[in-house]
Amino acid sequence: MSTLHVLSHSPFSDTRLDSCLRLLGSDDALLLSGDAVYALHLQGSALTALEDKTVFILEEDLQARNLECPQWATCVDYPAFVELSIRYDKVNSWL
Amino acid sequence: MSKSLLIISRQAPWSGPGAKEALDIVLAGGAFDLPIGLLFMDDGIFQLLSNQNAAAIQQKNLTANLQALSMFGVDDLFACSHSLSERGISSEELAVADVQPLSTEEVRALVDRYDQVITL
Amino acid sequence: MKFAIALYSAAHAPSSRRALRFAEAALAGGHEIVRLFFYQDGVHIASSNIVTPQDEQDLAQQWATFISLHQLDGVVCIAAALRRGVLNADEAERYQRPGVNLQAPWELSGLGQLHDAIQSADRLICFGGP
Repeated sequence: MSTLHVLSHSPFSDTRLDSCLRLLGSDDALLLSGDAVYALHLQGSALTALEDKTVFILEEDLQARNLECPQWATCVDYPAFVELSIRYDKVNSWL
Repeated sequence: MSKSLLIISRQAPWSGPGAKEALDIVLAGGAFDLPIGLLFMDDGIFQLLSNQNAAAIQQKNLTANLQALSMFGVDDLFACSHSLSERGISSEELAVADVQPLSTEEVRALVDRYDQVITL
Repeated sequence: MKFAIALYSAAHAPSSRRALRFAEAALAGGHEIVRLFFYQDGVHIASSNIVTPQDEQDLAQQWATFISLHQLDGVVCIAAALRRGVLNADEAERYQRPGVNLQAPWELSGLGQLHDAIQSADRLICFGGP
């Protein structure tokens, strides 16, 4: 079973990303949305921890924050988000 | 066959209605005889401590509700060992007897096993 | 694919808007929404008393319109709603409260509806937080 983990909190003020990364299975993926896209500002090992995972980023949240999609991640719009929710066996949002 | 649901409870007992509202989802599922699991993780493990005195802050004590879970047919209770040790808590200190401590690897496998997950 | 969508944050939360955009995309993609379930602060989306500044998005109104237009099941958890002061006429009468702020297309019901939706759907998606 593969899980798409959805995050929306900034990793600088919240521990959800850390907890999520600990749980992440090899077939799982992350979708960064809302303030979670500030994860692109992570430095050093915190950033490297993210770079080797399967990461999707909600495009509108990048655009709002004037951030660019890094080449180790895939930007998605809403139709693609829907498609991802089907591609993965389940969706776990870190509320 | 019913779909199984894992609730991951991450809120401390009185940080708002979150802990109780997570538990309510579990109890409702149990009442409908659905296969439900409950994992305590991060600050959620604080819900499990014994000798808490909710009355001191005029809050509800959740311990009785947690202990009653098996009466609702919910026997699959788990606690993240990493969250326990991060907070210096041993599994012997927990008020709820049947909570199974799980390693990170085991938590990963647990999430994988369930059909759906809600992380509150 | 059949989706059950659950919302846990109020109308002004960005996640509430994302949930609506997701729901719209799901229907546009030919999928079905079995139920929309509003829990925790998500119950506030059903309030008919929200006054949004003119230069902001009125998500509560957009949600109500979306549910009516597509004749979807928009269920608000009764326990969570009562606690947060979102009441329909029956509950306002029952608890002798002066305000009725939950009307059609919203319905109050229990957590059983969330479980029923999860059992009927292929996918459960939850939205909450920022």
